[in-house]
Amino acid sequence: MKRSKSFMGIAVALTAAALLAPVAPAAAQNVRIGYAIARTGPWAPGAQVTQEPNYIMWAEQVNAAGGLNVGGKKRKIELIGYDDRSNMETVVRSYEKLMSSDKVDLILPPWGTGANFAIMSLAKKYHYPMLSCTATGRKLVDAKNPYFFALLQQPDVMMDALAEYMVARKVKTAAVIHVDELFGLEQFTSLKSSMAKKGIKILEAKSYPLGIKDLSPVLKDMQAKKPDAFIGLTYPPGTFLSTGQAKAIGFNAKIFYLAVGTAFPIYRDKMGAATVEGVMGLGTWNPKTGAAAKAYFDAHVKRWKKEPDRWASAFCYAGLEILQDAVEKVGLDRKKIRDYIANTTHQTIIGPMRFKGSENVSTPGVVSQWQSGEFEVVWPPQRATSAALFPKPDWK
Amino acid sequence: MGFWLELAASGLITGGIYAVVAIGLNLQYGLMRIMNISHGEFLMLGAYLTWLAHTTLKINPIVLLPGVAVTLFLVGMVVYRLCFRRISRSAPTVEVIEARSLLVGFGLMFFVQNAVYLAWGADLRGYSFMAEPVDIAGARFMANRLLVFGVAVAASLGLLAVLRWTMIGKAVRAMMQSPTGAQLVGIDTSTLHPVVFGAGLALAGVAGGLLSMVYEISPSMGEPYTVTALIVITLGGLGSAIGSLLGGFLLGLVEAFGMHFTNPSLKMVLSYGVLVAVLIARPKGLFAR
Repeated sequence: MKRSKSFMGIAVALTAAALLAPVAPAAAQNVRIGYAIARTGPWAPGAQVTQEPNYIMWAEQVNAAGGLNVGGKKRKIELIGYDDRSNMETVVRSYEKLMSSDKVDLILPPWGTGANFAIMSLAKKYHYPMLSCTATGRKLVDAKNPYFFALLQQPDVMMDALAEYMVARKVKTAAVIHVDELFGLEQFTSLKSSMAKKGIKILEAKSYPLGIKDLSPVLKDMQAKKPDAFIGLTYPPGTFLSTGQAKAIGFNAKIFYLAVGTAFPIYRDKMGAATVEGVMGLGTWNPKTGAAAKAYFDAHVKRWKKEPDRWASAFCYAGLEILQDAVEKVGLDRKKIRDYIANTTHQTIIGPMRFKGSENVSTPGVVSQWQSGEFEVVWPPQRATSAALFPKPDWK
Repeated sequence: MGFWLELAASGLITGGIYAVVAIGLNLQYGLMRIMNISHGEFLMLGAYLTWLAHTTLKINPIVLLPGVAVTLFLVGMVVYRLCFRRISRSAPTVEVIEARSLLVGFGLMFFVQNAVYLAWGADLRGYSFMAEPVDIAGARFMANRLLVFGVAVAASLGLLAVLRWTMIGKAVRAMMQSPTGAQLVGIDTSTLHPVVFGAGLALAGVAGGLLSMVYEISPSMGEPYTVTALIVITLGGLGSAIGSLLGGFLLGLVEAFGMHFTNPSLKMVLSYGVLVAVLIARPKGLFAR
């Protein structure tokens, strides 16, 4: 009895405190930017390598410089971030809450193609511009959503670049594995058409499920067919697995290409820099692609004690640069921000960026390759930071 | 080595990985009927401890495994005292133990997973260890996978020997057959129960440590392993050490040959197909007594 009374007392006190607490006047001055992203669950490794660290670092940088310049007045950024628990329902509900009841000033995108696709229509309904940095797929771009902007290169652009590189090296045949997810299917469709256009023959193609623990039977079959190129349209677990197992069985094609995760520093660290020497993959930038990229790299290492990934990380930061620039030019009117984003050529750490509809049409398809511990850009030649190692050296 | 033998060997090695994952849960669920659904989380904890100690102290991860086992054993004793002692004491039947421990296991799963998120974040982690190909009769395998395979076989046979030929093993079996009867003949069940539970966690930790040498790790890695473990011990027969080893091998072989003849995407269909077929033919698993 005594115990329940004291509980009651605490409850009453807490409720009273909550009701009487004054709304902090400073909060009204802040620019409130909301997002939901995976901090837990299966999407979290990707989201926490590539995306959220950039949000936090950017907000800290802007605030350290006094804040966002809105109509000549510096206002601090207040990030409102929710954990979406890698759950699509939670993504949609969180953004609905941010847009309709929290009424945040701006939003930042969630992680991954599926989650971005899921909230695109909300962004349009509530007029929130969305600069998505981890979403690819024609399905998204072709939706013609005026508030949606996709920064990453689309699958056909990336696969065309790979095909062009292969043609330049007179590569004639390829063996392909792809992950059974929207991402893998989209990439594979694009790859098939890019290969067909360039007359490269796909000797064998197999799909695999995300949770697979052994790919060696498939890799052995492919090894026996002696393809010039091995192309894995993989997610990180498949990227790590096929690297280790190809090395184990000594399957070394002239081109060894893997998709998501190849650009992660942990890929080099887990597999060993000597092992990944010559492995190619989806990438776009590294500290050598420009002074701004170098500054970003250094700031990221300083803040997080870890390197950013060499593909989408910089796109996430570029999206924040674009958003900041738009706000400082036109204020917090989201319609005007949208128009500014849509109609301007932006200067970013990746280079100039212009949108046609939802698609970034300035950044070309890129092929990168691990060389002595750095993920060098090797194609197209005008963006290359190093010459490609071809054929890929033997596994070490 | 011929192509088929090589395919079979790679299936057996993957099967060994499945068996290692299952051993700890086989002690807890197979022998004690404690449905520890957070098994994969403790495996993940073992993987993180190994990774942390290896990357900060630069110690050979194999040397670390006994330390991980002892740590997880102690954690297991505490977890048992806090969460499972009441359940196994107050439940009138083993079915009630299963149902209640399942709920507690869910809670533990969230707790352990989120504790690791708080401590180390959601990043992928990993290190390179024994990632060298080894030649065996003309076929090449990754050294770290062979190590896991060896430990799987050794641990399964060791467990089998302990359960079958030692007094402790006899006591454990007696305790499961009839807790009251075991007490009557002088078996100290209040000590034995937590010790067996702790041993289950220790084995999960060792499995995690071994897996961290082969695969990249993240806080969400555990759940799929719990599912794998459940399939393997159901296939082999609850509580049978040799059953879960051979169950693991069977799954690995079916997957390897299935992948060769069909497509890796059919892996799930094949694994569950085998499980269903075995359960129809032998409802209590391959090696149930």
